Amino acid sequence: MELEFILNGEAVRMDAPPDMRALDLIRDVLGLTGTKEGCGRGECGACTILVNGVAVNSCLIYAPKLNGKTVMTVEGLARGEKLHPLQKAFLDEGAVQCGYCTPGMLMSAKALLDENTDPTEEEIEEAIGGNICRCTGYVKIIKAVQRAAKEMRDE
Amino acid sequence: MSNRVLNIVGKPVKKVDGVELVTGRAKFAGDIRIPGTLHGYQRRAGIPAGRITHIDTAPAMEVRGVLFVLLAEDIPGPNIMGILPPFDQPLLAYDEVRYEGESVALVVARTKKAARAGAEAINVEIEPLEPILSPEDALKEGARKIHQGGNLTFERKLKKGDTVKGFEEADVIVENTYETSFQEHAYIEPETVLAVPGGDGRITVYASCQSPFHLRGHIAANLHVPAAKVKVVQAYTGGSFGGKDDVAAEIGILASVAAVKGGAPVMIAHDREESIIGSNLRHASKIHYRTGAKKDGTITAREVRITLDGGAYASESPFVTMKTIIHAAGPYHVPNATVECRAVYTNKTYAGAFRGFGVPQVTFASESQIDELAAKLGIDPLELRRKNALRAGLPNATGQVFEQSVGLVETIDRIREHKNRHTGAKRKQDDTGRWLYGAGVCCMMQGISNGAEGIDVVGASVQMGQDGSVLVGVGLTDMGQGSRTVFAQVAAEVLGVTMDRISVKQVDTDSVHDSGPTIASRATTVGGMAVFKAAGEVKRSLSKMASLMLKCGEEEVDIAENFVLHKKDKNVRIPLSEVATAAYWTGFPLMNLSFSRAPDADYDHDTHQGRIYIAYNFGTHFMSVRVDRYTGRVEVLDHVAAHDVGRVVNPLGVEGQVEGGSLIGYGLAHLEKVETRDGCIINPNFSDYAVPTVKDRLPTRTICVEDENPTGPYGAKGVGEPPVAGAAAAFANAVSDAAGVRFVRLPITREDIVKALG
Repeated sequence: MELEFILNGEAVRMDAPPDMRALDLIRDVLGLTGTKEGCGRGECGACTILVNGVAVNSCLIYAPKLNGKTVMTVEGLARGEKLHPLQKAFLDEGAVQCGYCTPGMLMSAKALLDENTDPTEEEIEEAIGGNICRCTGYVKIIKAVQRAAKEMRDE
Repeated sequence: MSNRVLNIVGKPVKKVDGVELVTGRAKFAGDIRIPGTLHGYQRRAGIPAGRITHIDTAPAMEVRGVLFVLLAEDIPGPNIMGILPPFDQPLLAYDEVRYEGESVALVVARTKKAARAGAEAINVEIEPLEPILSPEDALKEGARKIHQGGNLTFERKLKKGDTVKGFEEADVIVENTYETSFQEHAYIEPETVLAVPGGDGRITVYASCQSPFHLRGHIAANLHVPAAKVKVVQAYTGGSFGGKDDVAAEIGILASVAAVKGGAPVMIAHDREESIIGSNLRHASKIHYRTGAKKDGTITAREVRITLDGGAYASESPFVTMKTIIHAAGPYHVPNATVECRAVYTNKTYAGAFRGFGVPQVTFASESQIDELAAKLGIDPLELRRKNALRAGLPNATGQVFEQSVGLVETIDRIREHKNRHTGAKRKQDDTGRWLYGAGVCCMMQGISNGAEGIDVVGASVQMGQDGSVLVGVGLTDMGQGSRTVFAQVAAEVLGVTMDRISVKQVDTDSVHDSGPTIASRATTVGGMAVFKAAGEVKRSLSKMASLMLKCGEEEVDIAENFVLHKKDKNVRIPLSEVATAAYWTGFPLMNLSFSRAPDADYDHDTHQGRIYIAYNFGTHFMSVRVDRYTGRVEVLDHVAAHDVGRVVNPLGVEGQVEGGSLIGYGLAHLEKVETRDGCIINPNFSDYAVPTVKDRLPTRTICVEDENPTGPYGAKGVGEPPVAGAAAAFANAVSDAAGVRFVRLPITREDIVKALG
């Protein structure tokens, strides 16, 4: 079926099978492999994307659900070589180890900061509660989100 | 080296591959797109034990998109995937299946969906055998033999002094039995490979893996081609923790055989469930300890008997057995020790390497026992540990003596300072009596380098361009732990260049020297030393060139921040690029391949007495908790981890290892339990297998003690594995303290706590 949506700021018009997962559309058809698959069951958050600003597991929704929506993946965060404050903070705080959960983690954090410029630690926990990271122990991820929030407020 | 002012080593440095990772540009194996790629999916046994009587692949061939099926007879080589002796693990089972996740066939199709459907469609007839599900059953007389040689995988003993005499000298003796459960690695990237046949008679395999040269050897053997025909590229690897060795070889070989047969690229990307049931776990264990001490706390003897449940195949059980006995007596001066450890086959998913490699299990048991001893003696647990702590000049349980870099006592003292500062701190108010408060400590050690597991050599290349930029290549892999960044820091420090001038190669077997597996917390220590040497050789060329240009002695030349300087007159400086260019035209070598070889282990195999590791990381953890007496919920209020890391290379990296490793230890101690029914895992997903989430995070604070290690670059030693054991054991002691009950089995779940509190 025919789909029309905005992906990382650009209009996309294409055909997609109705039973294709949004994750596969993004990775395999559109070639944006920054979005990762970790479990295929909505349990790890590695495939998190933003749909109309809301963080969703792209493994759990079908591609047609994107029709008419505004979609963002990790590839849409940076402006050219200029990193988004979240990306920069993740690097500065050492919140990235293997980096496989990072794209999903960044998208969940972005959904939060777009709504709430000064989140509490509990609100950050809530926002990334569905994103599993096995490497970092999360301490530096929390710090990175706080740092990015501050930087975005100061801008 | 200690008096030198360091510019880059010791400073917090961003990951050299960080930008690729935060932008989504980094290519993990599953992200590589080659037109015409086929997909492989494994058909697994589905039952824990049985004899294969018939395999009919015809139904799979009827699935649209399926191209062919591989069975054991289609593997050109020996059909073996085991990475160590006794090489007991077939790639594809053909006569007997020994665990539910065992592969019997690979279906290759145009899509993963079709391959999966094809795998399900194959008709595999297996005559079930009564599964053997515990080491006790496996070792019973007359038990069915899981392997021809019997059910004992491996057995070793450590013997030091005279334990009988040691216990006679003891005023008190404590004795107990402890158990730990299997643990899943749960790296977020499931195992993935892509094998691409080249037009040149070679094959390239992109793999999420830990040890690319292992893969190369196994792929070549099973393809029955020379190893030089195979190129393994370590793609960005989404975590490994010891886990992506056997299974990476398994799917690397299968994809390669399929790619050659199909004449097309073949990808195998595991589902989460496959990742849990079809790759190795941390060994479950049963550990009996007996410890004797004098009234003043001096330990006189320890006797330990350990049984590891190794599951269906040997994998790294032999090496885990050795590491376990070497560490079982703990980081103490124990004059008389006997340790016996055996690994046993059962019909379960096989156990192998997992961050810590046996040490977390024995550390939990040993440190629980030390607390029991402290209680019996009426001595403060931390003071008892300090009294017996290993110090420079004292022999450890293998009789090895280190004259330096034994910073255990300092880690204890730092923890004591922390505790003292916080004794006065107010506990949270609880009028209801709902919360029980407690605290625990743990001391641990972890051997660095291959040690008893074999020779330890790393090759590193350092290459400077005429513009003064540097390319570093090391045969050890970065799976997220940050070793590429450490290697870059060491090269930058030696060569006096800034970090932005350094690149570190992605590891591929064509372009780096075989440096063995990336295990045993050895990358920083042995790998870093190889970089240190290679960079030093390149620096020698630069100094020689600069001395000609500045008309001074080589020893008067210094390099800092991309400039060559005259030591006595800092105003005399030349851009490094000019010196490098001149060196190039003069013919002074700007590239070097150097090796770092750890001194070989030298010990008696029957007693494990001798020189084994090149260094140990020592650590002390403190954890305070409160426990909800009604729900068993545990809140960790404070966690401080002090480790002797020799020298901090990258503070951000060390903290990251300590925070992340500690949370894996916490998972082992509290949350994670691989549940089985009739030999099959019933929780192979993240809903039912509880990997710690952000809400479970520990308030970890890292304290680094720097007791320089002469065998590491600038005195550094590894820190990847140690925090797992530290946090797990400190948690067990803290919860036992709070509940007033000694918990002897990991994980200590909420249910266990509620039950114990009655």
